[in-house]
Amino acid sequence: MVRKKCVAMLLAGGQGSRLNELTQNIAKPAVPFGGKYRIIDFTLSNCTNSGIDTVGVLTQYQPLVLNNYIGIGSAWDLDRKNGGVTVLPPYAETKEVKWYTGTASAIYQNINYIDRYNPEYVLVLSGDHIYKMDYSKMIDYHEEKGSDVTISVIEVPWDEASRFGIMNTNSELEITDFEEKPKNPRNNLASMGIYIFSWSVLREALIKDGENPDSTRDFGKDIIPMMLREKRKVNAYPFKGYWKDVGTIKSLWEANMDLLDETSSLDLFDHSWRIYSINPNQPPQFVASDAEVKDSLINEGCFVEGCVEKSVLFQGVTIHKDAKVCEAVVMPGAVIGEGAYIERAIVPTGLRVPENMVICPEGGREDIILVTETMIKERSMAK
Amino acid sequence: MNKNILGVIDATTYLDPLKELTEQRVLAALPFGGRYRLIDFVLSSMVNSGITSVGVFPKYHYRSLMDHLESGKNWDLNRKRDGLFFFPAPNLDIPFQHIGSFQCFSYHLDYFRRSSQDYAVVSNCYTILNIDFCEILDKHIENGCDITQVVHKGKPLEVYLLKRELLIDLIVQRDITGYQCLYDALEDPHIPYQVCNYEYEDYCVMIDSIQSYYETNLELLNPFNWKKLFKESQPIFTKVKDEPPTKYTRNSLVKNSMVANGCIINGHVENSIISRAVKIGKGSVVKNCVIMQKSNIGENCVLESVILDKDVRIEDGVELRGTADHPIVIKKGTVQGVLMG
Repeated sequence: MVRKKCVAMLLAGGQGSRLNELTQNIAKPAVPFGGKYRIIDFTLSNCTNSGIDTVGVLTQYQPLVLNNYIGIGSAWDLDRKNGGVTVLPPYAETKEVKWYTGTASAIYQNINYIDRYNPEYVLVLSGDHIYKMDYSKMIDYHEEKGSDVTISVIEVPWDEASRFGIMNTNSELEITDFEEKPKNPRNNLASMGIYIFSWSVLREALIKDGENPDSTRDFGKDIIPMMLREKRKVNAYPFKGYWKDVGTIKSLWEANMDLLDETSSLDLFDHSWRIYSINPNQPPQFVASDAEVKDSLINEGCFVEGCVEKSVLFQGVTIHKDAKVCEAVVMPGAVIGEGAYIERAIVPTGLRVPENMVICPEGGREDIILVTETMIKERSMAK
Repeated sequence: MNKNILGVIDATTYLDPLKELTEQRVLAALPFGGRYRLIDFVLSSMVNSGITSVGVFPKYHYRSLMDHLESGKNWDLNRKRDGLFFFPAPNLDIPFQHIGSFQCFSYHLDYFRRSSQDYAVVSNCYTILNIDFCEILDKHIENGCDITQVVHKGKPLEVYLLKRELLIDLIVQRDITGYQCLYDALEDPHIPYQVCNYEYEDYCVMIDSIQSYYETNLELLNPFNWKKLFKESQPIFTKVKDEPPTKYTRNSLVKNSMVANGCIINGHVENSIISRAVKIGKGSVVKNCVIMQKSNIGENCVLESVILDKDVRIEDGVELRGTADHPIVIKKGTVQGVLMG
């Protein structure tokens, strides 16, 4: 096996329970985003664009769609003879089946995979954030600083800092301590869940942590604090640019709307940093004579006869005559019936909204509705 | 699964009426319908009919065709067994012949000999259709035919089905029989074979002039035709590009148009086909046009009945008006400024 400088380990096993029905049958990284992508496309494309060609994807919760989507990685140019993408599910050993009980345990149980490539560095990523980042610059930074661990951080508004994992640093950006969702934050540098470890240091730490029965096997709670106690060199890497955790219905909706904002720094049209995905084979979108389309992002295979405003339509969506969608995210293959009205909502994959049904938030502009099968049944009955 | 037919696409055709659009590319690679190339329709039909071995015979500028087909991956033809084969003509002085040029085939006779399929479909590369070859084969066998030619409303479509062995015989014995191509053979009233016609009733058009190219593109705007051509069970495959979805800004006004991915539409578009990654500036009006990929239309332009080839740049304020009978053609990669007229 040819030695790799850096192997990426992408944590994609989470359920994302705050996305409710959207993640009932699929893992959070497989949730559709941005009219054509799935959330995981952003991290996978970042790897490819950063020159990292060896990626382990750790799956556990509802992996069918995700496994099928990743395939052999050709969509991201990760179908390689040496390296490429490898899906790493939990597995059984002679005595027991070991589930991934925490972020660190997922890596711990795949030490063999990483050892095959004997890398200098391991990049740990989570598959549920939307951002574009050149990891190779972070590796350069890690080398320059001579760090054992580098954690990517982003400045968040002070009043929101208590929602994040906050890194307290000295003037050299060396991390002194870490607080998960602090009530009274002393800093506003939030961890982005992106770590670069020197492999020898991480390997040792994982084995040591593995022997500790009280550990929760979590990078934030166990591995990083242990490294800080041991006076390892842990540095913060300040990132500037668009980064969003899309863990809730509201934030997922917001991130989709950010794509329509011309001032947003998340640009999908930048050919030097393409976001790759599996391209559905569908004909171009058809916009009919009666249609009205403004301020929207529309994918192939859509058939639009109604009105679309400030919305994101995924592949194969049908908007029938006199229907209107406004500030909505309509996922693949959904059908909006004639005369229906949808506002500030997410319509999941394949859902059919019947004729003349009105769905919009009643609790004011703050609410975002996730349209569900049950909701549609109830409303149809009420009529 | 029908592994019994060999696909043969004759891509040697050069049609003078399409000269403006085929100076830099072979006809098979002419962009069509927003995201396709002409060859996609027959090639996808073959794949959807279970054909796993396809030989493409190009001549002239076939770089763009090779770039488009690559390893055949997008048609699922990058196979260990069978797959997509590329057989360029070894020299260009082969006289022009109709579809199924035996001389072009003869240079690559090994392909026909080594193949294991019993039958072969020989097709042209410039017909827009979505056809099931299995059905033709069933009829062919049922009626005890030697050669079946596909016709549409009685007019031959230059698509033929015959036994592979018979095709090899015809290629080898072309100097004895005097038939230089399949077309010649079928033109002969005394042909010593049982010839059958198969009437293909669905939507189909042979693209043989600027006029038919232009009209057929715009005919896709009729949902009836659109649905005939783009069937869910028989998709038309093409080379995929990683373009983002198309962005419509608040200034956009789009009516009765087909738009591919990766476009940014800031202006007014009506009755038009807009291909991949086209930009249309603010205040511009595009009506009854066919705009090919990556063309860039500036602000406050007026384009009516225009075919813009790939990579064309239209500077701000340019007005171009063709007519339905004579659309203006702007050649690939050119720049059109206000003073250029």
